Amino acid sequence: MSNLLTKVARQLGAGGAALVLVACFLPWATYSGFPGKMRAVTPGGARLYVMILALFGVLFLLSAPGRARALRGTSACTLTIAVLTAVFISYAGGGAGGLGIGAILAVVGGLAYLAAAWSLPADDRPAPIRVLPDRSWRTTVETLLVVAAAAAALIAFVIGLGIPTATIASGEDHLLLGAISFNDLTNESQFLSFLIFLGGASLALSRLGLVASLGALTKKHAKVMVAASLMAAVVFPFTQGGDGYSLRIAASIGVFAAAAIGLNIVVGLAGLLDLGYIAFFGVGAYFAALVSGSINSVVPVHLPFALTIVLAALVSGLFGVLLGAPTLRLRGDYLAIVTLGFGEIFRITVNNLDGSAGPSLTNGPNGISNIPDLTLPGGFSFGDNHVLFGINLPFQANYYWLEVVLVAVVMTAFLRLAESRIGRAWVAIREDEVAAAATGINTTRLKLLAFGLGAVLAGAAGSVNAHVVKIAAPDSFTFLESALLLAAVILGGMGTVHGALLGATVLYLLPEKLRFMQDLRLLVFGLVLVLIMRLRPEGLLPSKRRAREFHEPGGGGDALSAPPGRASA
Amino acid sequence: MDLFFQQLVNGLVLGATYGLIALGYTMVYGIVQLINFAHGEIFMLGGFGALTTYLTLPAGTPAAVALPMMLMGAMVVSVTMAVLLERFAYRPLRGAPRLAPLITALGMSIALQELVRNFYPEAKSARNFPQLIDPDKRFSLGGSVTISAPSLVTIVIAVVGMVTLTLFVRRSRTGRAMQATAQDPDTARLMGIDTDRIIVTAFVLGAALAAVAGVMHGLRFGQVDFRMGFLIGIKAFTAAVLGGIGNISGAVLGGFTLGLVEVMATQYAPEPFAGGAWKDAWAFVVLIIVLVFRPSGILGERVAARA
Amino acid sequence: MYPSPKTRLAVGLLASSLALSACGSGEDSNPTNASKTYTIGVIAPLTGDLSAIGQGIKNGVDLAIRQANAKKTIAGVTLRLNAQDDTAKADVGATVAAKLVSDQSVIGVVGPLNSSVGKSVAPVLSQANLAEISPANSAIDLTGREALASGGTQTRPYKSYFRVVASDDIQGPFAAQYAVSLGVKKIAIVHDKKAYGQGLAEAFVKEAKAKGATVLPTETVNPGDKDFSATITKLQSQGPDFLFYGGEYPEASLLTKQMKAAGLKIPLMGGDGIQAADYLKIGGAATEGDFATALGAPTDALDSAKTFVTDYAAAGFKDPIGPYGTYAFDAANAIIKALATSLDKSGQALRDAVTTAVGDSDFDGVTGKISFDDFGDTNSKVLTVYKVASGKFVAEKTDTFK
Repeated sequence: MSNLLTKVARQLGAGGAALVLVACFLPWATYSGFPGKMRAVTPGGARLYVMILALFGVLFLLSAPGRARALRGTSACTLTIAVLTAVFISYAGGGAGGLGIGAILAVVGGLAYLAAAWSLPADDRPAPIRVLPDRSWRTTVETLLVVAAAAAALIAFVIGLGIPTATIASGEDHLLLGAISFNDLTNESQFLSFLIFLGGASLALSRLGLVASLGALTKKHAKVMVAASLMAAVVFPFTQGGDGYSLRIAASIGVFAAAAIGLNIVVGLAGLLDLGYIAFFGVGAYFAALVSGSINSVVPVHLPFALTIVLAALVSGLFGVLLGAPTLRLRGDYLAIVTLGFGEIFRITVNNLDGSAGPSLTNGPNGISNIPDLTLPGGFSFGDNHVLFGINLPFQANYYWLEVVLVAVVMTAFLRLAESRIGRAWVAIREDEVAAAATGINTTRLKLLAFGLGAVLAGAAGSVNAHVVKIAAPDSFTFLESALLLAAVILGGMGTVHGALLGATVLYLLPEKLRFMQDLRLLVFGLVLVLIMRLRPEGLLPSKRRAREFHEPGGGGDALSAPPGRASA
Repeated sequence: MDLFFQQLVNGLVLGATYGLIALGYTMVYGIVQLINFAHGEIFMLGGFGALTTYLTLPAGTPAAVALPMMLMGAMVVSVTMAVLLERFAYRPLRGAPRLAPLITALGMSIALQELVRNFYPEAKSARNFPQLIDPDKRFSLGGSVTISAPSLVTIVIAVVGMVTLTLFVRRSRTGRAMQATAQDPDTARLMGIDTDRIIVTAFVLGAALAAVAGVMHGLRFGQVDFRMGFLIGIKAFTAAVLGGIGNISGAVLGGFTLGLVEVMATQYAPEPFAGGAWKDAWAFVVLIIVLVFRPSGILGERVAARA
Repeated sequence: MYPSPKTRLAVGLLASSLALSACGSGEDSNPTNASKTYTIGVIAPLTGDLSAIGQGIKNGVDLAIRQANAKKTIAGVTLRLNAQDDTAKADVGATVAAKLVSDQSVIGVVGPLNSSVGKSVAPVLSQANLAEISPANSAIDLTGREALASGGTQTRPYKSYFRVVASDDIQGPFAAQYAVSLGVKKIAIVHDKKAYGQGLAEAFVKEAKAKGATVLPTETVNPGDKDFSATITKLQSQGPDFLFYGGEYPEASLLTKQMKAAGLKIPLMGGDGIQAADYLKIGGAATEGDFATALGAPTDALDSAKTFVTDYAAAGFKDPIGPYGTYAFDAANAIIKALATSLDKSGQALRDAVTTAVGDSDFDGVTGKISFDDFGDTNSKVLTVYKVASGKFVAEKTDTFK
C-alpha cells in the first residue's frame, strides 16, 4: 500500500515539477523592467535557477528511487525562489496585478513538488563516495574536474557579486551568458534567488554524495586544487568588464578575510577570546599610514611597501606580546573584557593624538588621509589602469592582486601552524589547560605565541588595508568591527581557513547586496549571531574536532569554560 | 578643596548607576558564569518602559503617582526581557562551551538596540523623558559643593539596593539557595534546590535593579536613547570585575570606584591626558592594572568551582 | 562506480537547457516608459548615532527629487534617489562613493555629513568628475583653504567637490567676533573631538584670542556622553562667563541643561550643528539665551524656507529636517538644474557637463543664494547669529563675513 502511495506521490511531485518547468517559459511579470527578463520566453535570472531545480525534480522523481533528502532540498528552494520572486514582482509592480501567469503556476507547481518530496520516506543511507573507474584517462579527468570546480566557484562568485549596470539610462541591461541580467533597481531579488539556488544545489549535490566525492578528489590532487584556486582568484579581475567597484569590494573582503584568519588562530586554534582584535589591525594600518609619505603624516619617512608591511606586522606583534604577557593568565571572560578594553584604549588614543589632547601623531579624528598609491621600484604605480590581453583592467585590480597575495600568505601560515606541533599544543591547551601543562607544554609561552601571531597577521592585513582605502581613521576601529571579525570566524567555522574565508565573504557581502535591508542590517546581524549559536555553534565549515567539541554531552571542556579563580569560603 | 569634593560627589553619582547595573552582572555571573552582554540593554529597555508608561498615563497625573507607575512599568519590561532571554537564549546553551552564550549575549545586545532604534517611535535620536524629580533643585553638602535632587536619589537607591540585596541573599531562603547554587550547583541540586528557578531569580533581581537604574538615568538626564545601555553596560561589567565578580558589595564598590576614576581622571590626570576625551581610556587602564595585580578584584570574587 | 545513466542524462539535459537559455535574445531591452532615468546619490550616516541627522539630509534630497518629478522640471527625465549609508566612517564612505561612481545613471551626489568622511569621499568622486555637493562639511582643507591661514595661495584639491555651508575658518571667526562684541571676559571652549567640532572650536579660539578675549583651556567630551558633570565642575572652578561648543545638538543640548542646573548659568554658543529644532526640544527651557550660527539669511525671513517646512511635513518623513535638511534640498536642486542644461550628453561627458554646470550655479534656494566660487566653496558669506528666545531660534544679527 505504501508502495503505491509512494508511487503516486512521486508522480504528483514530478507533475508539479513539470508544471514549474513549463511555467519557466511563461512570463512571470506583466510589466517590463523587472530584472531577469521576466516577460521573455526564454528563462533568465530567477526563472533559470528554478528551472534547473525543477528539472532535477522531474528526473529523479521519475527515475531513481530514494534521493528523498536531496529532493526535499531542491523542492524547498524551488518554492522559496518562486514565492520570493513573486513577492518582489508584485511589490515592484505595485500589486498582485503585476504577476504574470508563469509566476502563479510556478508557485502552485512548487507546492506540489515540495509536498511530494516531503511525503517520501527519508533515506538514511549515506551517499557513497564515487570514484572514477581505473582507466588511463582517470588522472586527467580528475584533474579537469578539480579545475572545473574551481572555475565553477569563480563563476558563482562573479554572478553573486553582480556585474554593475552598463547604462541604465538607455534601458540596456548588462548580460552574462545572455541569460542572467543585472539591473540596479531590484538586484536584491536576483541575489537572494541566486543564493538560495546555490544553497539548494549544494544541498542536493551533497546529498547525492557528489560533494564528498569532490572533497576526496581535491584531497587527492591537492596541488592542482591550490593552483586552480589561485588561478581563479587571479583571473577574477578580467571578468569585470573594466569596472572597478566589485574589485574594490573583493579587495576589502580579502583584507577582512585575512584578519579573520588571524583571529582564527587566536580564537579558533588556541581558544583565547579576543574582543579587541581590531586594535592590532589598527596598529598595522596606522603604522603603514605614517610611513607612507602621505602629506598628512607627521613622519617624514616614506618606506618601500615590502618593508612597511613587514615592519607593521612586527610592530603589531610587539603590541600583542606586550598586551598578552600580563593578561593571558586571566581566564576566558576576563581576557575578553581586558581585550575589549584594549581595543577601546587604542581607538581613544589614536583619536586624541592630534597635538591638542595629546602629542601630535595620528592626526586625531580626521585620521591620516591622502595615503598615496603604492609604487613598485621600476615605476609601476598601483593607481594606474592597465590593459592586459586586450582587456581593460581598472587600477583596483592591482590592489586586488595584492590582496590575493596577502590572503595566500596568511592562509599558508595558518595551515602550517595548525598542522604543526605548535598547533597540536594549542588544541591541547584549548581542551584542558591543566592536563596540557601536566604533559610539559609551556602553556603561557604558547598562548602568548598565539596572541602574538594573531597580532602579526592582523598588522599585515591592516597595513594593506590602509593602502586600499587610502585612509586610517579612528572610526574604523570600533568594538563593532571586532565583533564583526569574531562573527566572521564563528559563522564560517572555527579552526578552518576556508571557514574564516566563507564567514568573511558572507558578512561583508550580504549587507552590501541586500540594500533594502539597510536599516535593519545590524538587527539581522545580531539575530544571526543568536541563531548560529543555537542551531550550529560550530559554524558553517568547522574543523571536525571543533564540531565535536560543541556537541559533546555535558559541555565541552575548552579553556573558555574554565571559571576564573576559585570559590571563596 | 571644594573642587575636589564636588568632583568626588560627581564621581559617586556616576558610580551609583554603574553599581546598580553591576549588581545584575555580578549575580548572574556568580551563578552561571555568563557575561550577560545584553544586561546593558535591559537597563535601556527599563528606561523606555518607564517612558511608555508615562505616555499612557493621562496628562496631569501627579508625580507622586506617576513615578511609582513608571517604576513598575520599567520593571515589568526589564524583567520580562530578562526572563525571556534566560529561557530562550541562554538556558538551551547551558552545556555548551562558554563562547556560545557569550556570542548569543552579544548578538541579543545588538538586536535589542536595533529593535528599539527601528521600531520604537522616533527613537533614532534621544527621546525626551519627563524629569519628575526637579533637576534644578540642588542640595548643599557644605561649602559650594552641591548635588542635584535626582542624583542624590540615585545614590540613595544604589546604596539601598545593595543593602537590600545583601540582606536578601544572606537571610532569606531563596538568597541562601542562590549562594548554594553559586558555590556548587550540582550539590545544590542534590539538596533539593531548583537551580533553574534560582537562576531565573538571579536574572529577575538583576533586571529589576537595572530597570530602576534606567528610570533614574531618564530622570537625571531628561532623555532615554537606544544607545544608552551599550557603553554603560561594558563599564558596569568592568565595575563588577573590579570589585570582585560574584560579590555583591564588590559590585557596588567597583561601581563607585570606576565612577571616581573617570571623574578624577577628567579633572586631575596629567595634561594632555586629562579631560573627557581620555576618561574612558583611564577607566580601562585601571581595570587592566587591577586585573593584572589582583585578578580576583578588590574584594575578592565569589564564583563556583567546576570540578 | 560510474555515474548512473540517469544521472548522466540529467547532467546532459541540464547542460543543454543552459545552452538554450544562453542563446536567448534580449527582450526586455525596451521598457515601455520612454523617459530616461537619472539618479542623484546621497552619502550620509543613515544608521547609527548620527542617523537622525543623516536621514534629514536624505529626506531633503528626496523631497527635491519628488518635487522635480511631480512638476516635470526636466522634460522626459525621471529622477531617482540612491542613498548610501556611510555609517560616519571614512573607509565605508570611500567604498559607497566607488559604488555610486560605478552606477552609470548617477549624475550627482549630495553628501557627506562628516568632514572626516568627506576627505575620503571627495577624491573618489573627483577622480570620476562626478559632481559632489556637501550640505554639511566644514573642514577647511576640503577646498584648499588651509593655505590661506599661512598666507599661501589657495588651490582646489578636488575638482568636483562643492559645499553649500560655511567652512570653519569663516563660521568660527564670525562666531568669535560676535561673542567678543557681547563683551564677555572669559570664554570656556568645549568640543567633541570630531573633525567638525574640533575644527570649528579651534577656528573660534584663534579669532577670539586675536580679538583679545581670555580663552580657557579647551575641554573635550565624547559623542554619546550623557553625564557632563565632571567637565562642568572643572569649568565652573575657572569662572567663565561664556561657553562655546563645537559639535552637534545631542551633546550640546544635554550640556546646556546640566550646566544651568549645576549653577553655571552662562550662555552656550555653537555652530550650525546645534541650530536645529531638536536642540530646543531636548534642551528645553535651559536653552534660553543660547546662541547658534548658521550660514545664510534668517530662515524665517524667506518664503521659500517656510514652504519647504510645510512641504517636508506634508511628505510624511519619519525623521526631522535636522540642521542640514534645507542645505541638502538646495544641493539637490543645484544638481537638478545643472542636469537640465546638460541633457544632450551622455556617459562621462554628461558627468563632466553637470559638474561644470554646478560650478556655474546661480539661483535662490531656501537657505539663500546658491553659487560657488572657483574652489568649490559657497559664495554666500552671509551668516546669521540666532539667539534662543521664548523657545525659538530668533535671528539676532545677520552679517557678511569679511
